[in-house]
Amino acid sequence: MSEQALVLRGVSKAFAGHVAVRDLSLDVPRGSVFGLLGPNGAGKTTTLRMVMNILGVDAGSIEILGQPADQATRDRIGYMPEERGLYPRMVLEEQLVFMAAIKGLGRREATERLGPWLERLGLADWRQRKTNELSKGMQQKAQFIATVLHEPELLIMDEPMSGLDPVGMDVMRDVMVDLRRRGATIVLSSHQMDTVEKLCDRVALINKGELVLDGAVGEVKDRHGKNTVVLAFDGDGSFLGSLPGVARVSDFGQYVEIRLEEGADPQPLLKEAVQRLTVRRFEIVVPSLHDIFVETVTGPGEEAA
Amino acid sequence: MTGKLWAVIRREYLERVRSKAFIIGTIVGPVLMGLIMVLPVLIMGKGGKLLRVAVLDASGVLQSEVEESLREARRDGEPRFDVRPRGSGTAEAREEALKQAVLDGELDGFLLLPEDVVDASSASYYGRTVSNQRDLNTMRWMLRDLLVAHRLTDAGLDPEQVRELTRDMDWRTIRLSEEGEKEDEGLGILLAIILLMILYTSILMWGQVVMGGVIEEKSSRVIEVVASGVPSTQLLAGKLLGVGAAGLTQFLVWSLSLLGISLATAGPMASGLPIPEIRPLVLVSFVVFFLLGFAFYASLYAAIGAAVNTMQEAQNFIFPIIIPLILGLVCFPVVLESPDGTLAVVLSLIPFLTPLLMFLRIVILTPPWWQIALSLALMGAAILGVLWVAGRIYRVGILMYGKKPTFPELMRWVRHT
Repeated sequence: MSEQALVLRGVSKAFAGHVAVRDLSLDVPRGSVFGLLGPNGAGKTTTLRMVMNILGVDAGSIEILGQPADQATRDRIGYMPEERGLYPRMVLEEQLVFMAAIKGLGRREATERLGPWLERLGLADWRQRKTNELSKGMQQKAQFIATVLHEPELLIMDEPMSGLDPVGMDVMRDVMVDLRRRGATIVLSSHQMDTVEKLCDRVALINKGELVLDGAVGEVKDRHGKNTVVLAFDGDGSFLGSLPGVARVSDFGQYVEIRLEEGADPQPLLKEAVQRLTVRRFEIVVPSLHDIFVETVTGPGEEAA
Repeated sequence: MTGKLWAVIRREYLERVRSKAFIIGTIVGPVLMGLIMVLPVLIMGKGGKLLRVAVLDASGVLQSEVEESLREARRDGEPRFDVRPRGSGTAEAREEALKQAVLDGELDGFLLLPEDVVDASSASYYGRTVSNQRDLNTMRWMLRDLLVAHRLTDAGLDPEQVRELTRDMDWRTIRLSEEGEKEDEGLGILLAIILLMILYTSILMWGQVVMGGVIEEKSSRVIEVVASGVPSTQLLAGKLLGVGAAGLTQFLVWSLSLLGISLATAGPMASGLPIPEIRPLVLVSFVVFFLLGFAFYASLYAAIGAAVNTMQEAQNFIFPIIIPLILGLVCFPVVLESPDGTLAVVLSLIPFLTPLLMFLRIVILTPPWWQIALSLALMGAAILGVLWVAGRIYRVGILMYGKKPTFPELMRWVRHT
């Protein structure tokens, strides 16, 4: 059995003159939770759609679960697209059984497996209701069941958390952790950096169709060095950005995260801050994924919008 | 793989068959058919109210004779005319009075026979309504017979003997086909036109259903999940087969109810009902040509559905593709007039006209087998071509959102996939 659940090699895709994905190579190890990050329009959805063969690749190759991608290997994937969609006038049970059937699961088996899932996601009472009677959040959960009912070895979810309330998010997170323990590989794209940071063990950041960063979460953070200063204070901190050795400031008013230049010493910064502000907290930390994301996408030295 | 196709067919079929539109259409169809067949008989049988007429004979020769004949005139065993007095005074005064009575609504009409009625053989009918052709014809033929009888008597002949010698001939039209002879008084033509209309409407309607389904999959965004599991060719095939099967189900229900109506009315109403016999060949070819026409036009509808985002956007595209079907409907009198003529044969072999026109020819006569076979082969080839083009547009279109594509763009989709 291959070590990799998903391998992309030199994948490219262009639409009417503009390049959506350029020479992208990725390795998603089996059993990992892989976060695909990137700003809007970076090419995340296009990449996932190419894996699902909804879009054809212009160049490059895709390998799924150790085999060249074809319909049979794709049937072992559970896919939750960014644009959720269910048949509006279909009864929930039939809908989900149908979704499993087009992934190759028999009707009887799908019907049997459905009960526990509906129970777990709180949809048991809605089994015989039409989809358009369900709330948005419930439809989102139904979509999730449609993604996992055929017990895929690889889950590909485009923005799985968007549109969920905090309770729904927790349920979804629990289920994902559970699926992973049972050996499934999960690839998710998201904008919610804190979720990604906690849930994923590997991330890849793409920007303008190109891979700019990838690796294990801890490794990515280490690579960016322990040169972030967290500073909480009272007073006017607007001068902090112009101090020597400061590369970038994320300013929250009474709280700032300061990225120092390569090899810069944080001590002069502390002295300056103590003289001009009432410092409540000063800490040197590894940068958050959020910061790495913003910095990588906007480029060093630029202020995040 | 077949499991997926089957799942799609099953879903499409059940969704259509369970829809309100299907249930209503399936029930209303036979009810309408029943009404169409039973109503005329009921209306004609009861015949409506008697026609109030007067007779004004300026010659004075035929007055009582005509009145008597009108009173005795029967249609379907019922009297038709209520003969009223002609009034009094001079001929002119009476005519004026009768005209006034008609205008006042006291009288439906009157017959005016001139002084030289027997020699001139002329008469007029004055009435507010002159569109009641059947009653007027009854009156006209009756009057003609009376006049002829009078002239014969004047010429010294015995009217009885003459009537015997000049009796009407017995004219029948018999349609000859391989299955034998069948007396046909034009009901066959009527049936052909009705079946043609049902065929035309069904092809259009079920094509629209396919298009609506594709648009709904796009607008509900469910298509992306489905397309990730089912290859687009199977999806399109499953859709056409599922919806087509729903159409056939509706025909089956209709046929059974038609049979039921025929059996139920055969007893009590006896021969009164003009139920035309539908030959098995006609029934089989109805189904076959529905399926062919449906496959052809519904593929195009599916392609349109995939290319657009909303029903409104689809309207512009629909017209060009249904023109051929409308053309078939426009051409049907040509085929009816001369079903074996060169023009009819050529028209019925043109693929997109075949479903309507070859079917029509089969209903009104049995064309040579080679022509039927050729039309099926050509139609089959045309369907394959259309499926190929539609499949390509469908594959690109279902995942394309945003601006409605132009026609050249659609052509590009067909070429570059």
